[in-house]
Formats: sequence, C-alpha cells, structure tokens
Amino acid sequence: MSGTSPQLDTTALGVTVPGPPEGAVSRRTLDPRTAVAILLAASITIMAPGGLLFVPAALVAGMLLAIAERAWRRVLALPLAAATAAAVAYLLPLAAPWPVLGIVGVMGGFSLRLVAVAGIAAHLIETMPPTRFTAALRSMRVPHAFTVSGSVLLRFVPTILAEARAVRDAMRLRGLGGWLDMLRHPVRSIEYFTVPLIASSLRSAEDLSASALLRGLGSQPHPTSMHPPRFGPADVVAVIVVAALVTATLLWEAGR
Amino acid sequence: MIELKNVRWAYQEGDTAVIDGLDLRIRRGETVVVCGPSGSGKSSALRLMNGLIPHFHDGKLEGEVRVAGEPITDLAQVGRVTGTVLQHPRRQFFTDTIDTELAFALENFGTPPERIRERVREVVAEFRLGELDGRLRELSGGQQQRVACAAAVTHGPPTLLLDEPTSNLSPQGIADLTAVLRHLRERGTTLVIAEHRLHYLRELADRIVVMQDGRVAKEWSRDEFPRLTEEMMREEGLRSLDAPKRIHVAPASGHGPSVQPAKTRPEDTESTGEAGGATAVAPAAGREAAGGGVVLRGIRCAFRGRPVLDITEAHLPAGVITAVTGPNGAGKTTLARVLAGLQRHSGEVLLDGRTMSRSRRQRETAIVMQDVQRQLFTDSVTAELRLGAVPEQAGHAATVLADLDLDRFDERHPLSLSGGQQQRLVVATARLSGRRVVIFDEPSSGVDRRHLQSMTRTMRDVAEGGAVVLLISHDADLLALAADRELRLRPIR
Repeated sequence: MSGTSPQLDTTALGVTVPGPPEGAVSRRTLDPRTAVAILLAASITIMAPGGLLFVPAALVAGMLLAIAERAWRRVLALPLAAATAAAVAYLLPLAAPWPVLGIVGVMGGFSLRLVAVAGIAAHLIETMPPTRFTAALRSMRVPHAFTVSGSVLLRFVPTILAEARAVRDAMRLRGLGGWLDMLRHPVRSIEYFTVPLIASSLRSAEDLSASALLRGLGSQPHPTSMHPPRFGPADVVAVIVVAALVTATLLWEAGR
Repeated sequence: MIELKNVRWAYQEGDTAVIDGLDLRIRRGETVVVCGPSGSGKSSALRLMNGLIPHFHDGKLEGEVRVAGEPITDLAQVGRVTGTVLQHPRRQFFTDTIDTELAFALENFGTPPERIRERVREVVAEFRLGELDGRLRELSGGQQQRVACAAAVTHGPPTLLLDEPTSNLSPQGIADLTAVLRHLRERGTTLVIAEHRLHYLRELADRIVVMQDGRVAKEWSRDEFPRLTEEMMREEGLRSLDAPKRIHVAPASGHGPSVQPAKTRPEDTESTGEAGGATAVAPAAGREAAGGGVVLRGIRCAFRGRPVLDITEAHLPAGVITAVTGPNGAGKTTLARVLAGLQRHSGEVLLDGRTMSRSRRQRETAIVMQDVQRQLFTDSVTAELRLGAVPEQAGHAATVLADLDLDRFDERHPLSLSGGQQQRLVVATARLSGRRVVIFDEPSSGVDRRHLQSMTRTMRDVAEGGAVVLLISHDADLLALAADRELRLRPIR
C-alpha cells in the first residue's frame, strides 16, 4: 500500500481497531454563548443581595446540566454539598447559639451560594474546549487580547493542577511536606512548593506557547472556526428550562 | 529549502555561544538527522529553522537563516512553511480532541470553515486517526506523536521539524512514529530530525549530520551508513545505529494479572502463560526473600473503578537493579507510586521482611522523576545536595558530582542548569539520600551515550550500597547497560 496510496501504512503500528473519527460538535452540547450567559446571569442574581432565593433554581439548573453531560457523580455531589452548607448556615446556629458558630454559619451561607454557581461553572469548564470557547467569545466581539489569553488560561489550569500534585509528592518524598514543618517554617515551605511549581509549569508553558505560536495563534485579526458557533435545539431547551425555573421561583416567592 | 550560513547564537542567560559557525543546507524532500552529544547545539539548530530562535528565545544572533528562500520575520510566517513536533507529545497539544487539534493551525491562519472541515477529514484518513479512540491525553505516547505530526502538517507546510520526538516513547511508540515519518518522506515532505536515538532512522535518513560545539563536525550520506561501525559511533559520543538487541535479563520473581510471565511473550499462546509464570516464580521467591529487599503481596490499585495494577506477589531484591518494563498503561508508574507510599492500594509491602506503612515508605524512598524540575527546591547545587542527605553519605558529595559531570556547577542555581544537568543533579541527590528504595523513572530521556554510562554507574553504586533499585524505562540502550532483573508488566484486561 505504501508508495502508491496516500494513506499512512499502519500495518506496523499495532493499532487496528476501527472506530468513528472524532465527530463534529455534538448537538446535545450548549452553544458556549448560552452557557456563558447562564453562568453570568446565575452569578449576578445569586451573589446580589436577596440572591439566596435563586439558589434552588441554580442548583436544579446545575444538576440538569450535569445530567445532560452524564456526570453522575456531580448530579449527586451538588445537592449533597448544598445540603451540608445549608445545614451549617441554618441548623448549626439554632442548635448551639454561640457567636463563633455564628461566623461559621455566615460562611456556610456564602458557601451555599458558591456551590450553586459552581455547579453551572463546572459544566462550562468540563464541556468547553478552549478553541470553541474562543470562537464564541470572538463572535460576541470580545477583543483579541482577551480571547487569546482566555483560551490559554482555560487550557493551562489543568496543567498547573497536575504539576502541583506532582510537586507535593516530590516534597513528601524529600521529607518537606509535613504539617509540623509547614507550621514551623511557613515561608520556607511555601518557597519549597512554589519554586518547583513555577519552574515546571513554565517549562510546560514554553512548549505549549511555542507550539501554539508556530501554528499561528494570535497571528490573524480574523481567525476562523471549524464549526462556527450556532444556536441549536439544546440552547432553546436550556433557555425554556431556565425561564421555567425563574418563573417557578418568583411564583413561589409571591405565594408566600 | 533551508539554509544556515555562518550562524552564531548565544542565549541571553548563557555566556558562551551554543551555535558557533554553523553552515547547513537542506534540500527539498531530503530527510536529515541532526545528532551529537548533549549540549552540541542540535536542538538550537532546529530552533533556528522554525524561528523560535530568535523570535521566541532571547539572545544574540549573527549570520543568515533562510527557510523556503526567505529570511524569517515572525513565527507565524515561518509557521506556514514549517511544522514542528516537540519532545513531549502531550505538552504541545492545545485542545483535547483529534479534530480540534488538527483544525487549530487552519483556524488561526483564517482558513474558511468548510475548507477546514474538508482538510481535517483528509488528514484523519491519511494518518488513519479514525482508528484512535478517546481524548488526546488518553492515547499512548506513540499515538500522541502521530497526532502531533498530523497536526503539524494539516496546513500543508513542505517541511517538518522534529525535536527528539522519541525520547518519551516505548519501542512500539517508536515503530508507530517511524511509519508516520516514512509516509511523510514518501509524499515528499522535507524532514529534519534532531535525535539521540538513531537506529529507527537508519532506513529513513538521506544524511546524518553530527554536531559538535555548535557546528557541523561530520556528515555521512546514505551510502556511507553501511560503513559506519560501532567504534566510530562511540568515538563521536553517538548512540548505536543498529537496533538494540532484545536484552536477556533474568526475570524478577513475581506473578499476578499485571505480571507478564517470564517464559511467554505476547505472541505465544495464552494458555501456557499462567503455567510458565508460576513455575518460573515459585522457587525463586522463597530463596531470595532471605536476602532482603522488597516483597509485594496482593497489591491492587484501581482508578475510578478500573483496575490498573494487580500483583499477587513479587520480590525486588536489594543490591541489584530491577528494570520495570512493559507498554504504556501497564502500571509501571503506579507501581513506583505504590512503593514510594504515594498511592492508595490494597495488599502489603514488606521491606526486609517487615510490613511498611505508607508514611514509612515515603521516608525510605527516593524517586528520580521524569520531569525533574518538580524536585529541585533550593537555590544552589550544594544546597540541593545538602537537603535531605544523610551524614554518612555527605562525604561522597564531591565524588558523585564529579562522576556526574557536575563538579563545576556547585554554586549555580539548579534551575539555571540544562535539562540533562538538572536530571543528573536529582540523580545525585537520590544517591546521597541513603534511602533503602531508589526509583529511577525514565532517567535517560534526552541523554547521550556518555551520560548513559555515568547514569548506569550511579545506579550501580546505589544498588551496591544495599538499596533496592528500580529502573522504569523504555530505553533499550539503557536497559542493556543497567538491568540485572526484569519485571515485565502488562495491562490488565
């Protein structure tokens, strides 16, 4: 086959399992613009004064998104985390009315709001490849400087987390990671952690940016997209569900 | 196609020129291998060709560099006429799926969407990427490099530059990459490959260029290859041009679903597997347990419910170097993490007959990781050696440094050393740590022939000091030099 056919001869490769090629963007996923809009709306309403009212709606939205994504673990974890935070916020001060627990209770209230927003944010981070995210931002006329750095950031967060775990392992093996050590020499411990973390992250960043720049990242004022963002049935469903959740919340509030 | 004329280059942070008087012409459609010992400037030569020097790295450039007849004005311009593949397949991916990765360059260069989709379909078919399943980070190293090559040529550059593309690959991964390179060569792509490992390029290369001190020291054309002897390669500090022979090392005693039985190879029938493994193992385990070392019993590990490592019993004796080999996904790194106490598992680990808790193992183990920057904590080579060295070993510091070619650098900041030097520094700290278990995880990626030998000597010293030494490696050259025993792992089905 080699020589005459334009195809790579994979008989030497030891991989023969045929499978479908990585397909186009699934119809089930939201358009990035819809996801970003829902996230923004949820963060603003929930973090605003009186936003606690919308926490249940946001939680349901987060769980529905997790179901759509088949992230079963998150479907369960979201209500559990929210219930824990709510218990700390409302039940704990009732059970033992001490001032210290009052502070803990307030923090519980904040965590509850955070959990509600995090459920929606997690969906965005899990399902949005950096290039699609950039394409969406571009179509919203977000300036170039933000789209390029935003997509690099989105690409790089998981790398830094992986590096941090590896550095922590290396510290434990050198006997540098113990709690006692950390308390006795806090500054030195931070140094031992951050110096290798920055060094190894920089090294990965160097490869990534070299490879991205050579493939033209940021070189054109008008880059294109293989699948230009387009609203689809999933977005219509999402908007209807969100509207229903908001209406239900307002009706419930009016009925009280 | 590519022309370098009397080029001189010094990195801003370095005081000496890495490239000094380099003259090199590469013709259209030619396959050229650039080799030479560590620090000879082969990676820098490649960076001159893709413009990373001087448009990405800072320093002082003299002389003339032309690619496709033009001087290089910026990275995107040279990026249109060259594709680049780097050492670490995973680090250079910008996205997480094959099609988006292939589309990346075309999108950035502003190609119309329908043309991108058409071209991505063509490349998927051409490189048979349809048969790869799943996310990029879940592919094997060889498959990832295949995608990296495809992504580098999707926008149709006539030249592909590869910087040590096999240093993280298994023998199967190298075979995979070789097929891709042969295909590219046949369709007329100009290939420039900077490499330590030469055997896989013997049939592909039109020319081998040997660099020394930043310039071309020797050139061999294709018809001269048959006359190149092992002796000549050694003289130049180069690795062998012949494929490394399959090493015959005594098998380490061990059995279980993760352990490849010693007497059968994958091509043999499955039914003889269990029996062969069991008979080879049983008597040896009893005899060696008395000599000290690590015994693993009923070790099982799973990630998200998927079993990755399952060893019923294995013995890693003290005083010898045990190589842990096997394909990607066989659980080699997981085994290292279990031994070091970094990984939760069921079963027990015994050292010299006594059960060791995970925290105890963390105190008794040293690892030389693949990415060594993660384990350099202090601000000088001396301080790095002092951190965690035991007093009785501290006296050997000078000898170890000299042996690893690091004695001139004792006051340098570890992060200012080259990659190879950093790696040897971590090896030195492991040597001085006095730990009972020392694990080397792929210590030879990007290492030339001479340092392969000093690395082996250090491992040998550690073993002779009575430690259990584990060597995780794909590198047949290193395994042939260093391995006393081989524990071959296989993926669990």
